[in-house]
Amino acid sequence: MPPESTELGRFHRLFQRWARQIRLRLAARSLLTGLALGFALAGVAAAALWWQRLGSLRPAAAALGAVGVLVALIVATRRRLSDSDVALYLDARLESKEAISTALELGSSEDAGAVVLGDAVSALDRGDPKRARPRVLQTLHALAPVGVAAVVYLSLIPLPPGPAVPPAAPGSSRVQLANLQGLEKIERLENLDARDAEQRERLKQIAEEAKRLREELAKGMEKREAQAKIAKLRDDVAAERLKLGDQKNRAGLEAAVGKLAENKSTRDAAKALGDGDLVEFDKKMQELANKAEKADREAAKQALDEAQKAAREKGAKELAQALEEQKKLFEKREAKAEALRELARGMKGKLSEEALKDLEEFGQSGSPEAQKRLAESLEKALQGMSEEERKRLAERLQKQLEQQPGGANPMTKEQIDDMAKRLGTPEGQKALEEQLKDLAKPDASKEGEREKGLGDAERGGAEAERGLGGMAPVPMEGGGPSDGSPKGPGDKGGKGDPGSKGDGSGGPGSKKDFGTGDHKGNTAKLDTKGLRSKANGKMNAGAPMQGSTMGRAPSRPGETANQAGTGALGQAGPSELGGVEGSEVPEEYREQVGRYFQP
Amino acid sequence: MTQSNFEARLAQARESSTRLRDAIATVIVGQNAVVDQVLWALIAGGHVLLEGAPGLGKTLLVRTLASSLELKFSRIQFTPDLMPSDVTGTNVLVMDATGGATGRFELHRGPIFGQVILADEINRATPKTQSSLLEAMQEHAVTIAGIRHVLDQPFFVLATENPIEMEGTYPLPEAQLDRFLLKVMVPNPSEDEMTAILARTTGHAVEAPKSVLHRDDVLALRALCRDIAVAEPVLRYAARLIAASAPDSSTAPELVRRGLRYGAGVRGGQSLVLASKSLALLEGRAQVAFTDIQRVALPVLRHRMIRSFEGEADGVTTDQVIEELCRVVPTRSGAVEQVLQGSR
Repeated sequence: MPPESTELGRFHRLFQRWARQIRLRLAARSLLTGLALGFALAGVAAAALWWQRLGSLRPAAAALGAVGVLVALIVATRRRLSDSDVALYLDARLESKEAISTALELGSSEDAGAVVLGDAVSALDRGDPKRARPRVLQTLHALAPVGVAAVVYLSLIPLPPGPAVPPAAPGSSRVQLANLQGLEKIERLENLDARDAEQRERLKQIAEEAKRLREELAKGMEKREAQAKIAKLRDDVAAERLKLGDQKNRAGLEAAVGKLAENKSTRDAAKALGDGDLVEFDKKMQELANKAEKADREAAKQALDEAQKAAREKGAKELAQALEEQKKLFEKREAKAEALRELARGMKGKLSEEALKDLEEFGQSGSPEAQKRLAESLEKALQGMSEEERKRLAERLQKQLEQQPGGANPMTKEQIDDMAKRLGTPEGQKALEEQLKDLAKPDASKEGEREKGLGDAERGGAEAERGLGGMAPVPMEGGGPSDGSPKGPGDKGGKGDPGSKGDGSGGPGSKKDFGTGDHKGNTAKLDTKGLRSKANGKMNAGAPMQGSTMGRAPSRPGETANQAGTGALGQAGPSELGGVEGSEVPEEYREQVGRYFQP
Repeated sequence: MTQSNFEARLAQARESSTRLRDAIATVIVGQNAVVDQVLWALIAGGHVLLEGAPGLGKTLLVRTLASSLELKFSRIQFTPDLMPSDVTGTNVLVMDATGGATGRFELHRGPIFGQVILADEINRATPKTQSSLLEAMQEHAVTIAGIRHVLDQPFFVLATENPIEMEGTYPLPEAQLDRFLLKVMVPNPSEDEMTAILARTTGHAVEAPKSVLHRDDVLALRALCRDIAVAEPVLRYAARLIAASAPDSSTAPELVRRGLRYGAGVRGGQSLVLASKSLALLEGRAQVAFTDIQRVALPVLRHRMIRSFEGEADGVTTDQVIEELCRVVPTRSGAVEQVLQGSR
């Protein structure tokens, strides 16, 4: 710095004073600008936070004001005017014709320098600081109080109401169930006695699918996915139930049903077989096997034999196999019923009136219920017999055996012979009681057992579907092996668990009603002057109507198109099965849409 | 040289220029701007191309100036048949008293050997003749028969051009136009000026002014002009102006891009600073200001720019381009301009 006494020193002193003032004011202006912009941003941020309902963060937006000051400080430092810039600014403001800039550059070294220096000193000296210095406050700075006010206001007002939460896509909610009721019934399919290896494999796969679904449900999955899987399981089970009536077995089934329908005694069984209700078919055959009249039994056996042959001829191998099995079972049942009757005859004097009624009913209807009751009555009567009476019973049984011609029931004969020998001992008595218990049990056919298991599985699927909040009704049991479940007269549907007391009420398909009709095909006489027309529905009597569908009725409430059709319809569009489930149709409308596309 | 000396010289220069102006004003009515611009060129050591309609006093101005300066005055009336030797002079055979040849040659100096040269209607001569003058203007010397002759200083050429009656003329090539420091447009006089002219020229003949400045005075002024200080920001501004006049420059305004084919060159920049120094000197300042650059820009640059075809078709003049440049090109750095704007 040159000495102050010189012109150059004076210039520098004046210039630095001006420069300091200018820089200070520019820095202050910059800070205020930063503050204003910071608070303006803070206001905007507070508004955004308010809008987003982040209430607690709103006051924090004011920190942006401090950030603005900080940024401004950095900017002001970086943009600090150099001496040359200050000189140019002063030249412009003091109208010194660039004397200050030139003086700053030249000093007094040049010829013109001294003159320029003098002009510059003069300009700096006489310059009015108030007029020449930069303004600190600017219009923009008004944003600072506005911003502060905005932050305060927005921090105090209540938050806006939240937007309505859009409803989740139908079925997209997740479900997590440790144990979904019903699935275990499907899982049990793997233990079912399969008709052949192929069916065993199919049943195993269905059961495994059910297990997998259980595991996935335990972990949690989308509800609609779970529903789709259950629907698939139900379809698989239903398809399995209807296997005997599928395209392959269709012709054989119709032929077999036709053959059975030709025989009066097996007409009901034919209807049950035509309906695909193998449990009912089995029950009808059991009744026939229990009948006292041998002619009836022989006719039934013959019809069965013909039906089996007809099925085999038409290529329905699986059906023929089932009918063959039924025939063998028929003979076994027949022998059992005969044994029961022999025993009852042997104990005739000791039987109660009720037991005698049961014996009569057993001989007439052959109903499994009567069989059970008769066996129980015999067991009770045996317990009430003295040792002497039991001996006489043994002798009588021996005598009956000797009087029987041929040996139509070799098994029964041997059993009774053995029983008669042992009746004298307590062990023998015990064995006879056991035998009677065994006689009380009906011999269910394997096909019937399968049908029952598949029916259970189907109901299990429906239960599972309901457990997930679906609308599927649980299909009622259309029948089952006559394992002692009492049913009301005319009941064809309701059932209780083995040994339990069924209430006799049935679901769709039940024949139980409380009306006055007698179901014998007679209607009340019409009060008219004469018949105008007469409907005769007995064309091709006993045979299924041409083109009628087999298996599940297509219009059960709650069902969807997601089920296989049967017969020719089963082939109508196999690729379309599951199409509705796989589509993006909302769950609420699936049933409706499914019904529309239902085969 | 001491500080007081420079100040004294500056004051003297100012006083000299005032005297010169006053002397010219005794003959020339009005045309102050033209007189000032001629003085800038005189002091800066450049030459002037005067353009104006006939009868506007161009020749009279030059004559008056020459009279006021007590410098050797020559006038060359350019015509198509004028030969270079008519300008520069030639060697002639010396005859003896009997009229016989002596076998010696003697240089017969042409009008170029004057100090204040009036090249009247320079565009009427052939380019060859024009170039003989232009060489002298650039080199301050002429070569005759292989011998170089340095011209007396100060050497000051004032050429005139008539913008009308262009038939049979040879417009000066742009490269040669560049040799003129300024191109001064002589405007028509205002009503008051016209009245004064009429009054003054229709009475008795006005005497030529007495010389107020001598050769040395002019040379001193020229030396002092070179001593005028220019701060770097001012030089940078001049450089920015010149750079922006190039159509392919990134800083060129749209009018320059559209209207010009070539902008001013380095010689234009030098002329800009020199003329500015001259202006500052005439105003008694020891430093050049931004406004000086802007004030001299028009006469200094208008003949150094070549218009594009599009510019000519659109009627864009170089004066418009220069005014646009002065308006658009910032004088100071961006930061300073920002502070200034915020403080107004």
